Amino acid sequence: MAINLTKGQRVDIGLQKIGVGLGWDPNTEASGKDYDLDASAFMLGADKQVPSEAFFVFYSNPKSPDGAVESSGDDRTGGSSEGDDETLMVDLGRVDPRIDEIVFTVTIYEFEERKQNFGQVRNSFIRIYDASNNAEICKYELGEDFSIETAVEFGRLYKRGGAWRFEAMGVGHKGGLATFVAKYAKKFS
Amino acid sequence: MAWPLLSQNMLKSFPEFTHNLKNMAINLSKGQTINLNKDEHDLSSITIGLGWKIQQQKPGFLGGLFGAKQQDYDLDAIAFLLDQNDKVTTLGDKRLVGGDVVFFNSRQHPSGAVTHSGDNRVGGDGANDDEQIVVKLNSLSNCYHKILFLVSIYEGQQKNQHFGNVSSAYMRAVDARGKEIARYSLSADPSYAGRCTMVFGEVYRKDGSWKFRALGDAHPFDSFVELLKQHVPRN
Repeated sequence: MAINLTKGQRVDIGLQKIGVGLGWDPNTEASGKDYDLDASAFMLGADKQVPSEAFFVFYSNPKSPDGAVESSGDDRTGGSSEGDDETLMVDLGRVDPRIDEIVFTVTIYEFEERKQNFGQVRNSFIRIYDASNNAEICKYELGEDFSIETAVEFGRLYKRGGAWRFEAMGVGHKGGLATFVAKYAKKFS
Repeated sequence: MAWPLLSQNMLKSFPEFTHNLKNMAINLSKGQTINLNKDEHDLSSITIGLGWKIQQQKPGFLGGLFGAKQQDYDLDAIAFLLDQNDKVTTLGDKRLVGGDVVFFNSRQHPSGAVTHSGDNRVGGDGANDDEQIVVKLNSLSNCYHKILFLVSIYEGQQKNQHFGNVSSAYMRAVDARGKEIARYSLSADPSYAGRCTMVFGEVYRKDGSWKFRALGDAHPFDSFVELLKQHVPRN
């Protein structure tokens, strides 16, 4: 049974491997542009910044150098599956010692050019689950929880007393992936 | 511009070439910014096109009688096939024929995956490719990790020719679907004045697929051999 977390709620992750799944329905309007949602991860050090650009996992960098975060690949239409269309697999046992926080984001590619926001995309969600048994830990329905937003900080994994915890953030922004790069990868933006 | 002259040049440069190897680590990437654009190109193959406008002769009787004939511009498209250490593994014979450098003297890579369309020595209308290098990236052996593409003006220094005074010269990269990836207009850019060679761009393997990166690094020398030296392994 999934726990639907409210913003700011925290859970201990007594797990080694977790999945972050992003799903949405393709645009069925004949003249409509594809909805291209992207799940990304920023692996942060104590200064809340990525130590190098390689710790920013996104469509052009599908795997972190420590092998802890790996993307299933870039779905550009939402047509991959009835369920998750993009997945970030996280192995907490492999996280580089410099990293003590991993922030997950969802953004809409070219939201400005295509004039799109979460309110338009059907059945979009992001969820986090235990990869060993697929038990869901938390889920956001993007289209219901957000509307005019185009970027969401979904949640973060962070280390506290040697253990990893998950915090649902659910913070919406009217920007794109560049907004989060400016925040978490300042040196490279 | 005769062939023997050319081969003499290539031979002359060889003693230096083999004895004065610089152990230089080169970093061609410019800037550190993260590119958030998705690569929309089909890089199962790539075509590098080079075009420039044929030299217009000054009209008129006096021009024809007293004016020296303006020399043609001879631009060349060149490709270096590099291994994982950024080195050329096989140089071929003394004239670089049959090796990992594809150029006017060696127009077909031994693998068959890289082909040079042929040496144009005068140019064309400035709007269409006068020389092309086509690379079938999907059929290229795993030992090649990167291909550098260059353009240089043959004997440019000797003829006082450079990108700043050539007409309508460009180099471009086109993907397998015919979609243009990048283009540099050489003659329109003042920063290329005095330059006879430009490293146009590179394709490289990344996470199991090929990526293209535009470089646009211009140099004053007119022979690609100067750059090749940086890609020859020691011993």
